[in-house]
Amino acid sequence: MKRQTSSKAATPRATTGAKTPVRKAPARVTPPRAPKAKPVETVLAIQGLVKRFGETIAVAGIDLSVDAGSFYGIVGPNGAGKTTTLSMVTGLLRPDAGKVLVHGVDVWSDPVAAKRNMGVLPDRLRLFDRLTGAQLLFYSGTLRGLSAETARSRTADLASAFGFEDALNRLVTDYSAGMSKKIALAAAMIHSPRILILDEPFESVDPVSAANVTQILRSYVDAGGTVVVSSHSMDLIQRICDHVAVVVNGAILDSGTMESVRGGKTLEARFVELAGGRTSVEGMAWLNSFSD
Amino acid sequence: MVEQLLRLKLRLLGNAFRRSRWHIVGLVLGLAAGLGMAIAVIVGLVGLRFAPVDVAAHGVEVFGAILILGFVIVPLVFGVDDVLDPRRFSLYGIPTSRLATALLVSALLGIPALAMTLISLAQIVTWARNPLSILLAIIAVPVIVGTCILCSRVSISVAAFLLSSRRSRDSAGLLGFVALAVFAIGFILIYRTNWLEHGAAVLSGIARVASWTPFGAVWAAPADAAAGNVGPALLKELIALVFLGLLWLAWRQLVALMLVTQPRAAEARSYRGLGLFRAAPVTPASVIAERSFTYWVRDARYHASLLVIPVIPFLLMVPLLIIGVPTNVLALFPVPIMALFLGWSVHNDTAHDHTAIWLHIASGTSGRADRIGRVVPPLIVGVPLLVVASIISAPLYGDEGVLPALLGVGLGLLFTGLGLSSVGSAQFPYPAVRPGDSPFAAPQSVATASSLIQGLSFFVTVVLTSPALYFAALALFVPGYWAWASLALGTILGVLFLWLGILWGGRIFDRRSPEILGASMRN
Repeated sequence: MKRQTSSKAATPRATTGAKTPVRKAPARVTPPRAPKAKPVETVLAIQGLVKRFGETIAVAGIDLSVDAGSFYGIVGPNGAGKTTTLSMVTGLLRPDAGKVLVHGVDVWSDPVAAKRNMGVLPDRLRLFDRLTGAQLLFYSGTLRGLSAETARSRTADLASAFGFEDALNRLVTDYSAGMSKKIALAAAMIHSPRILILDEPFESVDPVSAANVTQILRSYVDAGGTVVVSSHSMDLIQRICDHVAVVVNGAILDSGTMESVRGGKTLEARFVELAGGRTSVEGMAWLNSFSD
Repeated sequence: MVEQLLRLKLRLLGNAFRRSRWHIVGLVLGLAAGLGMAIAVIVGLVGLRFAPVDVAAHGVEVFGAILILGFVIVPLVFGVDDVLDPRRFSLYGIPTSRLATALLVSALLGIPALAMTLISLAQIVTWARNPLSILLAIIAVPVIVGTCILCSRVSISVAAFLLSSRRSRDSAGLLGFVALAVFAIGFILIYRTNWLEHGAAVLSGIARVASWTPFGAVWAAPADAAAGNVGPALLKELIALVFLGLLWLAWRQLVALMLVTQPRAAEARSYRGLGLFRAAPVTPASVIAERSFTYWVRDARYHASLLVIPVIPFLLMVPLLIIGVPTNVLALFPVPIMALFLGWSVHNDTAHDHTAIWLHIASGTSGRADRIGRVVPPLIVGVPLLVVASIISAPLYGDEGVLPALLGVGLGLLFTGLGLSSVGSAQFPYPAVRPGDSPFAAPQSVATASSLIQGLSFFVTVVLTSPALYFAALALFVPGYWAWASLALGTILGVLFLWLGILWGGRIFDRRSPEILGASMRN
């Protein structure tokens, strides 16, 4: 079940003393995990979600149910409606129609109770970046109702797990893009939510950190937590998720366990097949004769 | 190359009109303001044709030098967003001289260049007095326009160069503010000169110096010719032309340098521990207050309002001095004005967070906690400030009996303003300066809608505080305990409005938080 070979070596701070001579690249394709046999509890239910922006329909009636303890990937091309859907799930964007239930509570009729169970990483929204990393984590924790003591100790734990202890006292505005992503991810899980909704959590994160983050998320899932991640990297989703939904043009084309969606192919091949194939590269002959 | 860049600039100008309706309104207003000012100057220049040569010369030289200097200073202070930054063309492999020329020519398309062309044409009329003065004035037209455009190009590029790191950008805005304050104080000093007696002498003194500087020489050459001083006229013309040539060389060098320079990396400073967050106890309202306070301390946008508030009363005193209000009465103004501006300063606080506000929404923070957290810093700063200022102001006025009235009006305006801001920043957030931008850079937005909201929140604050204001006025003219009535009414009503504002604003925030985030994303 656990991928001890690659993940341990790839975590910079996991090994104490023991010198690992060979660092294996974390980007190895591991066999897909067997679906878990657990009493099924639906922790996130999306029903008939619709969002229009003027003439364009961004999300055209999405239904999805995510069971507790699953690592759910949402894949789709840019502009497919992934971010719009996740924004409506997390209470950041008001849907035109449809319902979102988190742990049985409607996000849009009882937001306070529903939001308590969610940890959120939105894509392309700012952070309170004039705070230091430590302050931002403390702030996120205490806004979620943690005591000062708990927030402080969890900040320290998260910093060592994600490997940014030495950046805690710098302003978030001076962080690199990948660092900001990691601190936002840490802030999303500081209140130990039931479900993590992560929009593009691996974008601009370096491979070593990505493997580290994956391992953290994996152990969270193993402990019964639920993760929903969106990405346009098929490879990554195929590697880390046990369930997947393919979103194109605001609708789900296929969803289910990773094996059933893939149907023996790679996720990328299956996705291209679902999304209608590549556009062929013709009429570009001039690119082959270089100008001076 | 020149033609392509001209087209690009035209397209950029054209696209500015394809944005939202409010944006176009703002643009048209800007255009009207620019041309209006140019027309006022032109009328003045034409009028000076009929003034004696030395009067016209002094006016044109001083004013002209200030105009050209403005092209140097404004970009440095306000941090103009340069759409034709040379660095944007670094990947195209265009020869430097051609790029420098093309960028310069395309800079001629724009309101500032148009206004300067009209103004420099008008000064031909002023100097239509003898053949040499006409000739020099005609030569001055391209020199003035060229000098202005080159000055602004060089200045913008130097600013972009020096201010590329966040920290230097933050401090540059504040430097600009200091310049503004110095300007205001200078104005008060100038005002104190007795213009009727010494005015002409002071002006001619400034003009004599200015006319030999590169900024004034181009304006002075035709003036000297008109007065018959051919030697100085030609010498000043030479100064102007040499300056223009040097500017061109500087611009060309800057372009060459910018094409091969990477943006500077920001140096990171380290802070220790949790700072203000160590303060117990932790509730959402208290941590938001601490976060807000941290921003008042760290964010240049908040520094700007903190620095502006003590200076505004003095700026507003200038016109009052001019219309002859007695000095002791002026002592009554700082307290209410500072209170009004401090209460008003957070009326768009939600928008200052920009999209970072998502954290409050996603964590289900109650609107009331959000509202309370935002009014705490201005309260902590404001109440002691107003008390101290009142204690200083009352003896300056000459009657310590007005102290309670000053306090009543000040606290009333502050509390009421904060209450109103709590409602306003939830209901009507409008685009604010984005985090990290120059605090004086106007955001790309709806100038008209935002000024309406700004004006309205001032007005309503004053109306709601009118009981305290009424009794304070009564206390000035009628003996009795009216000052105490003002204190009581100001504080009680102020606290009431503050609390109501927090409750109402909190309800609005709870109801329309996704829309608040949506509004911030459009900025």
